Amino acid sequence: MNVSMKGIVKSFGANDVLRKVDFSVKGGEICALLGENGAGKSTLMNILGGVLQLDQGQIELDGKAVAFHSPAQSLKAGIAFIHQELNLINDLPVYENMFIGREIKKFGGLIDHKEELRQTRELFAKLDIDINPLAQVESLDASYKQIVEISRALMFNASIIIMDEPTTSLTDPEIERVFDMLRTLKTQNVGVIFISHKLREVMEICDTHVVLRDGVLVASGPVKDTTIAQIARNMVGHDVRTEALAQTAQLDKEILRLENLTQEPHYRNVSLSVHAGEVLGVTGLLGDGRSELFRTVFGDGGKYQGRIILDGKPVHIKSTRQALALGIGYLPRNRKENAIIKDMNILDNGSIVTLKKNTRFGLINRKKQLQDFERQRKELQIKMESPTDMISSLSGGNQQKVVLAKWLAAEPKLLILDNPTQGVDVGAKEEIYDIILRLARQGVAVVVLSNEAQEIIRVCRRALVMYHGDVRAEVSGETMNEANMMRLATGG
Amino acid sequence: MAFKDKLGNISLKFKKNSAAPTLAANDASLLKRFARKWQENPLYSTTLVLVIMIIVQTIALGFDYPSFGAWFSSWGKNWINILRNNASVGIVALGMTFVIISGGIDLAVGSTLVAVGAVMITMINSNTTGVLTSAGITGVPAFIIGIAAALLMGSLIGSVNGFLVARGRIPAFIVTLGTMKICRSVTQNFMQTAGARVPREFRAITNTTIGGEIILPIIYWLVIAALLMLIAKKTPFGRHVYAIGSNERAARLSGINVERVKTLVYVLSGMLVAVATVINVGRIGSMDYASAGSGYEMDAIAAVVVGGTSMSGGKGAILGTVLGMLIIAVMDNLLNLVHVTPFLREAFKGFIVIAAVLLQKKEKAA
Repeated sequence: MNVSMKGIVKSFGANDVLRKVDFSVKGGEICALLGENGAGKSTLMNILGGVLQLDQGQIELDGKAVAFHSPAQSLKAGIAFIHQELNLINDLPVYENMFIGREIKKFGGLIDHKEELRQTRELFAKLDIDINPLAQVESLDASYKQIVEISRALMFNASIIIMDEPTTSLTDPEIERVFDMLRTLKTQNVGVIFISHKLREVMEICDTHVVLRDGVLVASGPVKDTTIAQIARNMVGHDVRTEALAQTAQLDKEILRLENLTQEPHYRNVSLSVHAGEVLGVTGLLGDGRSELFRTVFGDGGKYQGRIILDGKPVHIKSTRQALALGIGYLPRNRKENAIIKDMNILDNGSIVTLKKNTRFGLINRKKQLQDFERQRKELQIKMESPTDMISSLSGGNQQKVVLAKWLAAEPKLLILDNPTQGVDVGAKEEIYDIILRLARQGVAVVVLSNEAQEIIRVCRRALVMYHGDVRAEVSGETMNEANMMRLATGG
Repeated sequence: MAFKDKLGNISLKFKKNSAAPTLAANDASLLKRFARKWQENPLYSTTLVLVIMIIVQTIALGFDYPSFGAWFSSWGKNWINILRNNASVGIVALGMTFVIISGGIDLAVGSTLVAVGAVMITMINSNTTGVLTSAGITGVPAFIIGIAAALLMGSLIGSVNGFLVARGRIPAFIVTLGTMKICRSVTQNFMQTAGARVPREFRAITNTTIGGEIILPIIYWLVIAALLMLIAKKTPFGRHVYAIGSNERAARLSGINVERVKTLVYVLSGMLVAVATVINVGRIGSMDYASAGSGYEMDAIAAVVVGGTSMSGGKGAILGTVLGMLIIAVMDNLLNLVHVTPFLREAFKGFIVIAAVLLQKKEKAA
């Protein structure tokens, strides 16, 4: 089956997400859909998958115009959308998962297990899949789960399969297994749309590619006619290099040093060092392992191999409390889940880390607590009414500053910031950059984890680029530009 | 209070810093803030409900007395009865409040009470089976050791619960359901033939009269409540309990030792059960291991919930639990005064629990 989407326009309010995008894929073809976060990939696929409705444009299947108003309609027409979070039920065997929602029933409404099992075996034989249909889904590794999900789509006669970053949580041999499956699909004349950030994989498995940037199609064509570097340039655009704010400061003593830190499957053999007064960037794309790496440094990551040397002394960090006592601060990503205590007020949120320091006879010294917080409030220019208002009354940027405030109050010598400007508007973003640089000037060793290359370029003197748990390279000065970082982050 | 004034000054300064509010705007925002606090803080509505119930109860009690003095004395006696009868469950409910705010639950409190009672009575009972008596220790020293043993037993059971919840990562409901069964069954098995009476003098701990009335349990209850209010609001431990109940992940990532705090919460609950045990044993001088403390867990949870503490953790107050306990107690008293059959009283209790939560839900949506 051939799908073609013509002149697709979609906007959310005043925000034009897709501006006249043309996109097509044929049966037996694997097409890579590429672009930075926010380029419009997901929106385009959600339109094809029936999750979103288009504003203008047309979808054609084999030349016939169609309209999808729900995921069910799209699925019925033969288009299956396989999301990153798989839709399998772990506690059921494989063959039952194949028929979830479309159980084959016997007389009396009971499930016909025998027939389900038979059909599953038949399909697996046809696709050359080596999975026991009776195995519990839970016992399968991530790649086999994905294969089960793909075969389920085929069981429902899907002829176009959309896969959203299918390889991010997989190890190399697992990826190879999924790729084998995709190659089999080609022989069955199934079309695949492969959304990915990993350009090396794209070059390996895909036939054609489409690059979106800011809702516009900027490049497309056979993969063999292009290069990773070219695709990376297309994804980023050109004139994006913004001036770097970071100064080449005199490097002070080494604060943190990692030697061959490994935690399978997240990251392996990572060695790095951060000095006082320095802002080190660590970047990469989804699944690069940088967040897990620094969660380990903050004592929240579980068991690891390798050595952590803090301030010249080897330490084995087992808990967040220990990390705090060692002088490490950590602003996690996903503020809402990991940092905001929603039932507490601004003051409590901004001083939860230092409560134990500000006590007298075991009771919290509220005056000192208020004074400390007031100092941070001024420093960070937090806009708020009263410190006893709930944290939820603040804007995202101000909430983030309150989270920063609690760590600044602890006066860490090493501060780890994971996606510090996530969900923060442009103005507050710049303010947070200023704060980061000021901290470095005051002699704090700062690590900024970010997937935004521009952010890294703006605040960091040098940066490490990670790919699939490995540090690919260190960039600084001339090599620290978006196209190069994108190339490294995509495994090129 | 000078301390409060200073606080007021500081918070005033904050207001001045934020974009120069006019006087009128300030008034409006004060009113708005009060309205918001009413929605945010269930203590306001809980207090209102209690006041209404007290008025109705007072009317039900009637004014058919020769003098104001006689009326007041009768009214007061009725109140002392209410408070005294609910003091030990009230104390257990205080510990339950901490547990529920931390995001857990403690179903084992009723059974902990008999296990603690068994240990204490075994230590001090006046028969030859009394451990301390047979060692020649009697009177006040024996009582002190006995009470210490009770507190120790309470915290021991609490620490087992806490350990399994915090380190074993088993849901609190399951853990305490298990220890609830274990504690009562083991106690009953070992105490089949043992004496259950304590020396007469021990009962002074509960029954000493002040101004002709037995009000010691009430004093214990209120003093402990005040102490726990302080702990909840003014100590790092108290704030950490709230933080964990509201967002455990964020609490851990703020360097809080989540396992330790969670364990301590159950230890605290166990210790407060021990206090309730001492009061109960002191009051009647013995313990029936089959029935003592049964239903305490549900009565305590009911008080906590009616007091506005959220079952999902992170929100609640000690004061709310005291008020919640009083609401249930006053209603029980009221039903008694208007001669509702005892069989139906539990139904009313159930009704008020559901109504309280319904009310709180509505506030959230508003």
